Amino acid sequence: MSTNLEGLGLSLLNRLAGAEWPDRWGLRKSLEQAVYRGSKSSYALVSKLARELAQKRAPSQLHGAPRPNDLFDLGISEEQQMVRDTLRRFATEVLRPAALDADETGVVAATVRTKALSLGLLQQALPEEGAERSMVTHMLVAEELARGDMGLAVALLASVSAVNALVRWATPAQKAARLPAFAGDSPPLATVAVNEPTVLFDPKRLATRAQRKGAHWLLTGSKALVPLASHAELLLVAAQTAGEPGVFLVDRQSAGIELVPEGSMGVRAAGLGSLRLDRAPAERLGDETFDYPQFVDLGILAWCALAVGTSQAVLEHVIPYCNDRVAFGEPISHRQAVAFTIADMAIELDAMRLLTSRAVCRADRGLSFQRETYLTRLFVAEKAMQIGTDGVQLLGGHGYTKEEPVERWFRDLRAAGIAYGLHL
Amino acid sequence: MKILVPLKRVADPDNANKIKVTAGKIETTGLEWKPNPFDEYAVETALRLTEDAATPKARKGEVVVVSFGPKEVDTTLRSALATGADKAIRIDTTDDAIDGDLLARALKALVEKEKPDLVLLGKQQVEGDSNQVGQLLAEYLGWPQATFAGSIVSEADKSLVVSREVDGGSLKVRVTLPAVVSVDLRIVNPKGVQSVFTKAGHNYPEGVRFAALMAIMAAKKKPLTEVKLADLVSDPTLKVKTGAAELPPSRKAGIKVKTVQELVAKLKTEAKVL
Repeated sequence: MSTNLEGLGLSLLNRLAGAEWPDRWGLRKSLEQAVYRGSKSSYALVSKLARELAQKRAPSQLHGAPRPNDLFDLGISEEQQMVRDTLRRFATEVLRPAALDADETGVVAATVRTKALSLGLLQQALPEEGAERSMVTHMLVAEELARGDMGLAVALLASVSAVNALVRWATPAQKAARLPAFAGDSPPLATVAVNEPTVLFDPKRLATRAQRKGAHWLLTGSKALVPLASHAELLLVAAQTAGEPGVFLVDRQSAGIELVPEGSMGVRAAGLGSLRLDRAPAERLGDETFDYPQFVDLGILAWCALAVGTSQAVLEHVIPYCNDRVAFGEPISHRQAVAFTIADMAIELDAMRLLTSRAVCRADRGLSFQRETYLTRLFVAEKAMQIGTDGVQLLGGHGYTKEEPVERWFRDLRAAGIAYGLHL
Repeated sequence: MKILVPLKRVADPDNANKIKVTAGKIETTGLEWKPNPFDEYAVETALRLTEDAATPKARKGEVVVVSFGPKEVDTTLRSALATGADKAIRIDTTDDAIDGDLLARALKALVEKEKPDLVLLGKQQVEGDSNQVGQLLAEYLGWPQATFAGSIVSEADKSLVVSREVDGGSLKVRVTLPAVVSVDLRIVNPKGVQSVFTKAGHNYPEGVRFAALMAIMAAKKKPLTEVKLADLVSDPTLKVKTGAAELPPSRKAGIKVKTVQELVAKLKTEAKVL
């Protein structure tokens, strides 16, 4: 009888190993462990796998629901479309009118924050409410918010990013300690600090050091371009350990943290600031399964999604402007120098969006997305800056004034190539 | 309180210049659709009447949204469910098979089935702007009606004091429930609606609420049923006959005149206004 059971188990394992679905559901790793350990402890693992499978729903993808014939399709699901519509309305009615003030004062108005809370951005990032988590949805959210204003989008997404990172990487104990506060009516502000004030900053070569001291760690170093630097109560700080770089949870009240609001060229509503750490006590995020390169990549993709949104705002602004603005007896869009620039803008924006979507879609499906992320970052950084510059140029002298939003978008879009502190 | 809110999707007014007419018919393919703004105000009003603004998630009544149209209209209904409505009904038909009278007759049959305490609807939809369905429905049902509501105060859910937007001011009327009320723009002001649950003096944010993202995900679990138009009305005859549609003629380019004399001459001879 026992042999029969074992045989059944093994044949099940073999079938699993050859199947295609584990890739789609991001379970390949657990599955391979199961097959590798074979008959030794396979039954426990098979049941663990079944549990994981039950927990994970089919990730919603750029493709929407998986289709029986698997036709190539770049559509989004009906719910994602509704999320996008809602966010688009929010960006148009709430963020865009507040953008100029927020850029000048460097703070998010209370009314904007209240309305954003009612959208439930944080609730959506939390898993407890039972709905599926999809990075594609997070990407759509970032894109639409940045279409309203990138600075406000970063300010609103800083806490969401911290929650995303906690949900993805934190140990059960860390989740239990940190996440419930974010589900409440007045959630704390949190942020992600990766950038450092060095030339040619590379997130894989961090100057900030983490030293182990008993169960805790001590962080020493400097961080720059930290969103909500003066307000965030919880900081997720990237730092170098003796081995791999890691990410550390730092409470704002701890000793050894000095926050310096530094002011920035763009994304000003997000209150970017510097952070000096001198043996600041910290807790390491996650366990040995924490994947620092993926952590960095998901931050990059969040910024790419923001750049796509703001570039979309530029495009939507210059088209009616150039059709209406008459010079030399005709709309300036009749001039090829203008028309071709706008056409290029539209083409490159679509390319930016498709590259970003592909990388995020792969991340959602549990496939490797590092290569896709770096291609996206390079392209988006270059083209977003170009779109920002062209936006100002197409409006001529008007573009240089504060009467028009293009100068702000120009400043904001330059962040796409340098910033890391977010997480999808 | 149970409230029935008829909701219609309309071609996005911002894309009006995309509308094409071929062979006397308006082409609807490729148009973007939005809920009729006055109907959105009606949904918002219904939600405000059935909640305590301090705890809007705990529903204190039932809001049923209903729409007439093809399968694609489900999106409009799902959006309403996402903002808080409890149940949706789609009456399967097409835009060219309905008119105000048929809608009112079908709604009457639906009201008799659903038994709401109140039918709340937009004062008109922004495509035809005919402003008849509410009035016809009240007549067919024999219910009291209050149109162009700019504010509503619920009196123990037994009657409503409705401030109607009329020329040169507002007119207050009291309607006993069940009743039909059509709403105007001002109803979504911060103090437009006073329910029996919300603390007096509460200020709502101006306008129509945003759906919470979680509620969007949850909306697909709320009931959305399809009803055939023929199950509600046996006689689908329309009272409105559509002749042919044509776009307004495009304006000709203007001309520049050199002198005042020339201008006067043209006004006399060509424009014939002098």
